[in-house]
Amino acid sequence: MIVVTGASKGLGRAICERLIEKNIDVFGLARNVEDVPFTSMSCDVSSYESVKAVTQQLKKEGSKVSGLVNAAGIASMNLAVTTPQSVAQKIINTNLLGTIYCCQLIAPLMLRNKHGSIINFSTIAVALGLKGESIYAASKAGVEGFTRSFAREMADFNVRVNCIAPGPIDTSLLKGITPEQINKIVSQQIIPKQFKPDSVADLVELLIDSRSDSLSGQVLHVGGA
Amino acid sequence: MSNASDVKLLVFTLVSQALDDKAIVVTEDMPLIGGESVLDSMKLVELCLALEDKAADMGFEFDWTSDAAMSRSRSMFRTAGSLAAKFISQMETKK
Repeated sequence: MIVVTGASKGLGRAICERLIEKNIDVFGLARNVEDVPFTSMSCDVSSYESVKAVTQQLKKEGSKVSGLVNAAGIASMNLAVTTPQSVAQKIINTNLLGTIYCCQLIAPLMLRNKHGSIINFSTIAVALGLKGESIYAASKAGVEGFTRSFAREMADFNVRVNCIAPGPIDTSLLKGITPEQINKIVSQQIIPKQFKPDSVADLVELLIDSRSDSLSGQVLHVGGA
Repeated sequence: MSNASDVKLLVFTLVSQALDDKAIVVTEDMPLIGGESVLDSMKLVELCLALEDKAADMGFEFDWTSDAAMSRSRSMFRTAGSLAAKFISQMETKK
């Protein structure tokens, strides 16, 4: 079973749908799972207790967890000096602490089997140092640093940890960003093209598969950076 | 198994099984974290998982992820004795 956070919409939803299409068991997590048509549970990843409740449920059900995809995330395009403190806090809590909490609490379910793959999400904004994304990029740079160290901690247990850093993918996360802004970012990628959620799902599919057994602690930039 | 001394012996046995050097005798004050620990971090995690499994067999959930779990001064892993005491107290409160 693969646990996917942010499963109700955007990239998380696309990843769940791809995995289900490939006959892989998915357990989706999202704050609101009312309209989620696959096995799911309500979870606020920024709350340690909420994530802990998920692990207790998975243990209770005897679920064999072999993967975790930390796709839950929020963004806010704003200059740091005009970003309210509450928004900055929310971005760090959800993107960075949410990823850390899920890794801390769900990874032990994989350690017992000495097998697993964890996929975290960063952004191309970290590598490109994009204007107007400093707080968002800071939260994701934290995720990249965490990924590299956590990968070493998990290596003894044969659990791989990698990170996908997409450019501006066509999802609800881009709501409020103009096509001009998107084009400007895309033009800085090595492959100057806006990719679709399917390209990210392709990478997730590869990273949870044994074909990528040699990869851990890596950050893969969708579009190249 | 619910007798506290039996459970303590069980925890010590699991600690002993986690040790590379099987000749080492597990004592009450044997440190499990910090510089003098006889367990490396991987063995400590394996011990946690073994305790979790044993607790499940005994009908309760062993929680090793509390705030104080890895604190040098308050951690349940300070010594084999403190670990056994915490395991027993969780067994008694959660059962």
